[in-house]
Amino acid sequence: MRLALWMYEGTAHHGVGRIANSMQKVHAVFHAPQGDDYVNPIFTMLERTPAFPQMTTSVVSGRDLAQGTIRLPETLRQVEAKLHPDLIIVCASCSTILLQEDLEVVAANAHTQAEVLVYDANPYRMAEVLSADGLFTQLTKRYARPQPLTARPSVNIIGPASLGFHVRTDLICLRRIMQTLGVQVNVIAPLGASLADMARLPAAWLNIAPYRELGRKAAVYLEEQFGTPALYDAPIGVQPTLAWLRRLVEMLNDVGARVDGPAVDLPPLTAFSLDGMSAPSGVPWFARTADMDSFSSKNAFVFGDATHTVGIVKFLHDELGMDIAGAGTYLAHEAGWVAEQLVGYLPPTADQESPTADRTAHGQPSSVGGLLVTDRFQDVAARIAELQPSLVCGTQMERHSCRKLDIPCIVIAPPTHIENHLLGYRPMLGFDGADVIADEVYTTTTLGLEKHLIDLFGDAGLEYEENGGQEIGQDTPALDTPPSQENAVASGALPHPLTPKAQTPTWTPDAQAMLKKVPFFVRGRVQRNVEKYATEQGVSDITVDVLQAAKEALGG
Amino acid sequence: MSAIQKEDGLYHSFCGLTCVGWLYQKIKDSFFLILGTHTCAHLLQNALGVMIFARPRFGVALLEENDLSKPQPELEALIDEIRADHKPSVIFLLSSCTPEVMKVEFDGLARHLSRPDLPVLFVPASGLDYTFSQAEDSVLQALLPFCPPASPDDRRVVFLGSVNDAIADDFALEAARLGIPVAGFLPATHFHELPPIGPGTVLAPLQPYLSKVATRLARDRGATLLNSLFPFGPDGTRAFWEDLARLFGLNVDLREREAQAWSRLATHTELLRGKRVFFTADTLMELPLARFLKAAGCEIVECSSPYIHKKFHARELAALEGVPVFEQPNFDRQLRTIAATQPDLVISTLGTTNPLIGQGVVAKWSTEFAFMPIHGWAGAGTLVGMFTKALRRHAKLDPLDDPVWSAGLMPGAIPLVSNRS
Repeated sequence: MRLALWMYEGTAHHGVGRIANSMQKVHAVFHAPQGDDYVNPIFTMLERTPAFPQMTTSVVSGRDLAQGTIRLPETLRQVEAKLHPDLIIVCASCSTILLQEDLEVVAANAHTQAEVLVYDANPYRMAEVLSADGLFTQLTKRYARPQPLTARPSVNIIGPASLGFHVRTDLICLRRIMQTLGVQVNVIAPLGASLADMARLPAAWLNIAPYRELGRKAAVYLEEQFGTPALYDAPIGVQPTLAWLRRLVEMLNDVGARVDGPAVDLPPLTAFSLDGMSAPSGVPWFARTADMDSFSSKNAFVFGDATHTVGIVKFLHDELGMDIAGAGTYLAHEAGWVAEQLVGYLPPTADQESPTADRTAHGQPSSVGGLLVTDRFQDVAARIAELQPSLVCGTQMERHSCRKLDIPCIVIAPPTHIENHLLGYRPMLGFDGADVIADEVYTTTTLGLEKHLIDLFGDAGLEYEENGGQEIGQDTPALDTPPSQENAVASGALPHPLTPKAQTPTWTPDAQAMLKKVPFFVRGRVQRNVEKYATEQGVSDITVDVLQAAKEALGG
Repeated sequence: MSAIQKEDGLYHSFCGLTCVGWLYQKIKDSFFLILGTHTCAHLLQNALGVMIFARPRFGVALLEENDLSKPQPELEALIDEIRADHKPSVIFLLSSCTPEVMKVEFDGLARHLSRPDLPVLFVPASGLDYTFSQAEDSVLQALLPFCPPASPDDRRVVFLGSVNDAIADDFALEAARLGIPVAGFLPATHFHELPPIGPGTVLAPLQPYLSKVATRLARDRGATLLNSLFPFGPDGTRAFWEDLARLFGLNVDLREREAQAWSRLATHTELLRGKRVFFTADTLMELPLARFLKAAGCEIVECSSPYIHKKFHARELAALEGVPVFEQPNFDRQLRTIAATQPDLVISTLGTTNPLIGQGVVAKWSTEFAFMPIHGWAGAGTLVGMFTKALRRHAKLDPLDDPVWSAGLMPGAIPLVSNRS
């Protein structure tokens, strides 16, 4: 038993809803208490859908349980009468699954015209990602039909789904690339796909399955069953996108040679820019400009799902020249793959433990090849507090943890939040995605001459509010943020890395005055470092001399 | 009284657990521990997304697969952790669907976990039985043993229902002005400030979703339950105070006060007059809100609510004479009624509002009414403004008369090929 406050992944039934809501004339019916209907607003609020999401809760009430009533057949009939879906997917919830009802039999009693698929998503064994991916793979197996390849070179784009992280704009980016290459998009699935589209999946020359979390298993099946080759890499960053493009062209031309079809040529790279005549991405030149020297002294901590964690670590390291302080994922079942991908990127650690895929073993965070593997946000916040990186790339939860820790943070991975459903073009994939991520990193961290001026003169004339930092010498961490609602993220649960109050050195008034001259937004870090130095030196009072010695020892 | 039509309950609303979102903030030395699953945690972070970061004094004791086979959940360690981190005066142990199905014996569990200095109180709140605001009723019932008894000659009022401190002050001041002695509020801001309740107590419910605790107090402690309108809008507020005063033998005439309050709302009521308004079902606040709009000159096309208590809501139902009133409505039937009757404004749940707007209806979140200071004389302006804001905003915007503006917005309707190619 553990105390949970915030989860990275949604539930199994949420995963089912995401697939159903992605597809044409597919509807999910949850055999669940009315309380489980909360997933519905997640869709209409975040995606701001102008129509109702394709999911219905067939309500199970306490009275129904007492009386042995089961309303599922009636709900199925209502859904059919109103929406005429081609397929209805039924799943139980965390409570109704314990009733051990045979939903196949119950659903058959509805005698609907629509096909009904009872999906066995055990919420105690799978969460959102495995549930969605499992269902989509099952649908692919159920509907894909053998058929001739399209006459022209074509691809399926597999993996974008409702409530995916920036997938709408990723899709725009991938479509633009295919248009530039003159490659036809055969099917996009699950987003926008009908069951007829699912049947046509094997007509494509190649499958693109960029997301590790959704679609890869379906692409593996299509490869095994129909011989459709698949490109599994995620084109995150400029060089990965280039390599991905070359591989795409090569694979399509292999198929072309086999079926005697037309060849695909890689056009000049300027063709991939928005105006067709500029650099496809600004990142390679941007990364070489003078102010980006600052990046070489910056380190980043990255935490998220599998696809984005791997892509972003490589991008920051290889293309912006940053150091990687550490990385992690909440997807225990992908930890092995992420660790393997990041060999050579992560700093060596002492605690090399074996991977754990046991979802019930939540006691302690595990470490796979230096990778933090946990679904407890408190573990992640503690690691960030300990590492004190210059930048964190994480989820919404890390954004909030970092507010408390006063560390710049950008959001690079799901779960999505209303702020990941903005109106503008903000893909994560392709050349365009590289520009978006680089801009985000740049505008989030303090860099260049501005940074030097701040370091030299304290505030560089920046009239920031000092928003009432805590007094020095308290046992609370010196985070110069007010004890407002916002920064209270994990105050109950976040283990502070510092030693308890009794061992914290005290500051003399003149040392305190000197510390106040340090810019407020780095003051907390300086304070912690000096206190740590003093503790190591066995000094209980921090005087001006101790502060000076610490600054010299710590390199200013 | 309006006849109540009862349907099959296939409507949208939030789980009863959602009430921790306001109650943990109201009862400042409390902790709300939900014995539940990943689903409960996912619900709370999505339903309360805005609040979850505000030093949450609530959490989910997470039942995982290996816990399902245990005879009784082991919560001691979590209680210790909560005690150390939050130092609460009381822990509310809330049930949820899964332990209900597992038939966890909550009363015994709560007793077993209680310590003299830190009581653990069982609160039935599962989504199998409770909708949204209803679970506050359960929380207040759990608090009853800690309300000291009052002697029969202690003739004072206890206001029932969680309101913020500013509204509580308004009610205490207004009562003093009218000469009504106040014993306190249930819930109080702190666990140890609960009001004494006895046969002399008059219970004045501020929220319309507390029928069970009110009835139980009347039965168990012999308290008198005020039977009036709920204090929303000038009409409801006047009736509330006049009826309350009468129970204290005071004859007050608030006609003038009500007229002044309405005249302050004139710019709003001009806009509302003749507007046709539809309430789906969500917060259990629907009856008094619809009654207020009716008094403000609206035509109520339909007023639906998850649960209606004929006695507790008697005065509201009487005031809604002639209005179609539904309990446990079917949302699909409501959509057909909305399409057929074309109301000017629909008050609906968080999840259904955007799709309703997508159908060309002006719709407004019902949930918002549960989080706004809309009680009493001071709240009337806020209350009326919530209805007119949506009408005004949509009137200001250009008509959305070309389907192009919602092209590609539904995930399941994203075209494979653009129209040009």
